[in-house]
Amino acid sequence: MSVDRFRSMGCDVAIAGGAPAAVAAVLERWEETFSLFRPESELSRVNRSPAGVLTVSPLFARALEVALAVADATEGLVDPTLCGRRHEVALAGRLLARPPRLPLDLNGVVKALAVDEAAAALDGPGFVSVGGDLAVRGAVEVALPAGGAIRVVAGGLATSGTASRGGHLVDPATGRASESCWEQVTASGATCLDADVAAKAGFLLGGHGPEWLDARGIPGRFVGVDGAVVENDAWAGAARKVQPCT
Amino acid sequence: MAPNSRIELARRRARTAKATLGALTALVFGVAFVGAKTHAPGHAKGKATPLGAPPSFERAVRTNALQSGQIAPPASPPVVSSATS
Repeated sequence: MSVDRFRSMGCDVAIAGGAPAAVAAVLERWEETFSLFRPESELSRVNRSPAGVLTVSPLFARALEVALAVADATEGLVDPTLCGRRHEVALAGRLLARPPRLPLDLNGVVKALAVDEAAAALDGPGFVSVGGDLAVRGAVEVALPAGGAIRVVAGGLATSGTASRGGHLVDPATGRASESCWEQVTASGATCLDADVAAKAGFLLGGHGPEWLDARGIPGRFVGVDGAVVENDAWAGAARKVQPCT
Repeated sequence: MAPNSRIELARRRARTAKATLGALTALVFGVAFVGAKTHAPGHAKGKATPLGAPPSFERAVRTNALQSGQIAPPASPPVVSSATS
């Protein structure tokens, strides 16, 4: 499998099975809309606006809708307001209403959504990986944090934690960087978005992460700050299952 | 004079009865009106209830909102790695 590599969205990108230029174009479209590091991105302009009601682009509305749904699905663990005020944000079509100057941060979903869109545009079997969050079309072998590997047969795989960029995951309950007992959490999802959200939630839940993912049937692999690896039941079952010959 | 007086008394009783009945009717209507406004603003017969799904259904949807992918033991060396993003 031929792998192309480049940088985008502030991350290392690896793709197989598609044209790098096409994938880069998809990622750039998301980056220019949602980057908090670009003052002219739509998200930066929305956050600067003193207006309580705004009209946003279709892409922005779609991402925010997903972010609000994710906040509900995770009971506020992955929250676009980062401070537990998601109920003050309302979206009706492309009309966004929120208290003026309540900043939004859609990083919790944007990268994964971009990966899923890019993977859907691949020409054939392959994968798209942005900063280690990946979506596959066809089975792909993936190396895991702290050693080991897994075969991703379908869907996506994502890792969240503090290993590469320090404490960038904010706990909405405190509004500060999370002090999880895990260094990295890897989760498998039907999409890269599902995997990424599950990994973030598993990380933020600390010791309750493995059982929270198990309750949803989501495989999760947890690397503790001491380097110990913990697999929840769903991961352990899937990673040891012998595949029948076809 | 006496028959006139009896008729007059009867008329007075009838007027009083009519006035009392009217006042009572107005009072009952007023109390019912205010009670309906206060206790069931959206419905004449009972308390308005939200049309949303019951909490148990919402809990079930929330639990199932995230879907698992498919993973298996590796069959060949990895071609990409999943790392902290």
